[in-house]
Amino acid sequence: MPFVAFVVDGAFGITNVQLSAPEFLNTLERSGLSTWIRESESAFAYYFVLVVHNIGLALLVGACGVLGARLLGFVPELPVAPLRRYFRFVWAGFWLNVVSGVFLLIAYPTKALTNPVFYIKLVLIALGVVALKRIERSIPQVERSLALWMLGLWVGVLTAGRALAYTATYLLYGKGT
Amino acid sequence: MNFDHLHLLLNHVPIIGFFVGVGLLLASFTGTNDDLRRSALIVFAAVALLTIPTFVSGVGADRSIAREPGISEALVRRHEGAAMLGLWFVIATGAAALTALWRSRRTGGKPRGTLTVILLLAIVASILMGRTGNTGGDIRHPQPGTGPGAAITESGIGSIIHLFEPSPDGFTNLMVANKWWWATMMVMHFVGLSLIIGAIGAINLRIIGFAKEIPFGPLHRLLPLAMAGLAINVVTGMLAFIGMPAYYAADIAFWFKLGALMLLGLNVAVFYLTGIFHRVERLGPGEDAAFSAKIVAASSLLLWFAVIISGRYIQHFEDSLRF
Repeated sequence: MPFVAFVVDGAFGITNVQLSAPEFLNTLERSGLSTWIRESESAFAYYFVLVVHNIGLALLVGACGVLGARLLGFVPELPVAPLRRYFRFVWAGFWLNVVSGVFLLIAYPTKALTNPVFYIKLVLIALGVVALKRIERSIPQVERSLALWMLGLWVGVLTAGRALAYTATYLLYGKGT
Repeated sequence: MNFDHLHLLLNHVPIIGFFVGVGLLLASFTGTNDDLRRSALIVFAAVALLTIPTFVSGVGADRSIAREPGISEALVRRHEGAAMLGLWFVIATGAAALTALWRSRRTGGKPRGTLTVILLLAIVASILMGRTGNTGGDIRHPQPGTGPGAAITESGIGSIIHLFEPSPDGFTNLMVANKWWWATMMVMHFVGLSLIIGAIGAINLRIIGFAKEIPFGPLHRLLPLAMAGLAINVVTGMLAFIGMPAYYAADIAFWFKLGALMLLGLNVAVFYLTGIFHRVERLGPGEDAAFSAKIVAASSLLLWFAVIISGRYIQHFEDSLRF
């Protein structure tokens, strides 16, 4: 099946663009791992991956929140330099979510990859990582605008992630929402 | 699970608690006794926390009682509407009390204006809780002439309050009518979660011994971040509950989450009211906290993660409880 099907209507040209999912998503969805994560009744399948993703979020965005608040001038008497230690939790949360995110993607590849919001989320993550890396290098001297960008980007990632549940056009290959 | 009994066990707490709190606060205005004022504020905060399971168990009780003959649906709905109005005043009083406790600790002063606002909020909340109690009592012991199917006649103050009470089904429908409103609440709930874990995590880790070069005092001033997160999450959480009451009430993971939150209330009380906080308050760079403080900090962290984990498992445990 083609990724994009154009419906050409006589002299008026393209009037309807239908997005449909490529075949490899179907293959992936039928794989044992994908099926198990998605369909197992076990509390250690899909919802366990979600729990890990949520804990990663709490570590990453939680540490970002504390760092960002201090860099924006909240509690000025709190020394900034030792806050560098919180990057340990930032990156632990980040890698926890890369791994759990890949498992979620394996469970519902069509749902994520046919949703433009998913690509927006990936771009925001990339930009968020750049912002965090720059802060990690320059701490304790960090520009306020950089701290604001970092916070905004990660709240954006969180928002995009939540929005994935509400914006998907396909749940599974060939199955709309 | 017997929600009926749980509701009966809890439902006197908000009413009696708020009457006691108002009495203590009024008494504190007459003298210069700081302990009375502090006690009143602590009572408001604790009762506000306990009002959440009281409210939530009411939905379960509603479903179990609905099967019994002779129960007036209209009386149940009136009670629900009264609870849905009173809940917000109780929560607002609790939040204002926590804020006042925080500020008086920071400045040492007595914010008279804030206390007056809290007193007014608490009096309104007490009246609304009294009304909720009365309308709840009417369900089991109806006034003469208010059997099933009979029209409810309000009298006196009840008729005035009734004007402000939401229709329970209307409120529920309002929460779930638009998926973007629901999505917004969920995003806010996750932002609140991050604020709480960030600030509480930093403070607790310092007590346990991580990043000991940070002095405790300034770090502890991050607490308003967690308080803001808690405010966001109590409001969005209760709104979500009102949106799908039967879904949440019939879920073991949801009750586990509530249980962990109640234990966190206890944890906060142990930390601030038993002298543990006094001993960690002045910890400078490199100084180690007492073992008792570390135990309290570690249990706080564990409980907050239990809240996250059980919250995320709510969907998985849908329909795990029977009314």
